[in-house]
Amino acid sequence: MIHTDNRHHVFSKLMRESLIDKDVMASTETPVVRMLPHVHVVKIGGRSLIDGGRDALYPVAEVLNRILQKERLVLGVGGGTRSRHVFSIGLDLGLPTGVLAQLAMADALGNAHILGALLAPYGVVAIPPEIFGHLLPLFIQSAPGVIFNGVPPYSIWEHPPAVGRIPPHRTDAGCFILGECFGCKSVTLVKDVDGLYDSDPKKNPSASFIDEISVTDLKKKNLASLPFDEVLLDILKTTRLVKSFQIINGLKPDLIEAAVKGEHVGTIIHAD
Amino acid sequence: MSSNELLTRLGKTLMEDSLTDIDVMRQTSEPSAIQILPEANVIKVGGQSFMDRGRAAVFPFVQEIVENLPHHKMIIGTGAGTRARHAYSVGIDLGMPTGVLSVLGTFVSMQNARMLHYLLAKHGIPFIEPVQFPQLPLYLAERRAVIFMGMPPYTFWQQNPAVGRIPPHRTDTGAYLVSEVFGAKSMIYIKDEKGLYTADPKKDKGAKFIPKITVSELKALDLRDVVVEPAVLDMMQNAAHRRSIQIVNGLEPGNLTRALNGEAVGTIITAD
Repeated sequence: MIHTDNRHHVFSKLMRESLIDKDVMASTETPVVRMLPHVHVVKIGGRSLIDGGRDALYPVAEVLNRILQKERLVLGVGGGTRSRHVFSIGLDLGLPTGVLAQLAMADALGNAHILGALLAPYGVVAIPPEIFGHLLPLFIQSAPGVIFNGVPPYSIWEHPPAVGRIPPHRTDAGCFILGECFGCKSVTLVKDVDGLYDSDPKKNPSASFIDEISVTDLKKKNLASLPFDEVLLDILKTTRLVKSFQIINGLKPDLIEAAVKGEHVGTIIHAD
Repeated sequence: MSSNELLTRLGKTLMEDSLTDIDVMRQTSEPSAIQILPEANVIKVGGQSFMDRGRAAVFPFVQEIVENLPHHKMIIGTGAGTRARHAYSVGIDLGMPTGVLSVLGTFVSMQNARMLHYLLAKHGIPFIEPVQFPQLPLYLAERRAVIFMGMPPYTFWQQNPAVGRIPPHRTDTGAYLVSEVFGAKSMIYIKDEKGLYTADPKKDKGAKFIPKITVSELKALDLRDVVVEPAVLDMMQNAAHRRSIQIVNGLEPGNLTRALNGEAVGTIITAD
């Protein structure tokens, strides 16, 4: 213990330092370990797939089972239509962003249990969010896959967005940040579109497909909407271990297996 | 209204359109957010700057909190400090990712919250973890103060900083977000300096004190070191309610009381 300025310090490289000082921060840039380098993160869309019921989700579950014979999967899910509904009621009641984020956790957790029921025969279940992060390495050694509600645990600590009040860190972001933290092999977002287009293909039939693009090029295009959480563009800018993610169409479920194998079957968004 | 009709037109838009569409997001600003706890003050007690000084700093401060209980409601968060710096140093050397460092910082912030809690326990003031936040309004009404750990519960979902490995969203940010989401009356940071200086006053004798500044003025100064986490400044710009913060020197008796009474006793930073 060091008592030089009436503060009682424990000796360390960062002792007495400001954790805001730019030079001090630069000194902490060192290589990072990968905790789960052989695991793939796959996010199954809520509105795009789970809300589609049997027609959309049964084939997805079948393919996931096939993949689980060979690969380890962390499966995240979106909250889908129910999250959109609770946002609309919450906004009408004047509830702030953090409360909307807290409410949305429940919808995705419900969907995690739905997917868990379909994959239960293969030993893959939804894990309660309170223990998921800390026990993930244990679960993934014990079962071929685990399911979580893709929502990051920001809850009332969600960041206020620049425009409006919808929580910016939704399930795409939650799945990607998890993959980055654990140094996973890949992150795939499974939706009901083939990937990224220069405009919404559901509204504009002449929209053209973008098969691969960097964050900077994508930001330059200033598209009216994106098929994933916009905050991912900022997250990719500071990524250390996972440098890209792929968006694929789960209505063509075989593509999930191809994407996990590393094939380019949708749109790949990568860091610069 | 038929049972299938949605409450609002926005509800229909949210169900059908993209949450990345800027026009849709603009509509989610209205109606404006309510203030959930408009009479509460959020206070953050520094870790390195305050708790690590022990009895000499903390006992008079605890006395001042007790004296203010009849007049003010206080949600009191704690910083982490020198043990977090130690844990971060060891963790960085071992290649731990930012999300793991965030877990380590949370534990230290919790230790400080527990210590402060035991000093205030005889006044019936509870320490609440994030899962106990639904009880916060009751404690605040009954006992007029609660203690929480300042670290936001992001754990493995803490985003990487642009430079280095230290979690960018630490206890200043966690406390700030509590003040914003609850629409609190004030956000007061208790540190061991009068407020913001042009440089770290502990290292640079020529550092000049800044009593009042806006976020964009502060950003334009491009200081090497700032008295609060830069993330707080970004969030203030987007905030619906808590658009100013005050940094005060808690080592000078009376400053907390004056800040709670709305006086300017340190540095006030305001959103533009």
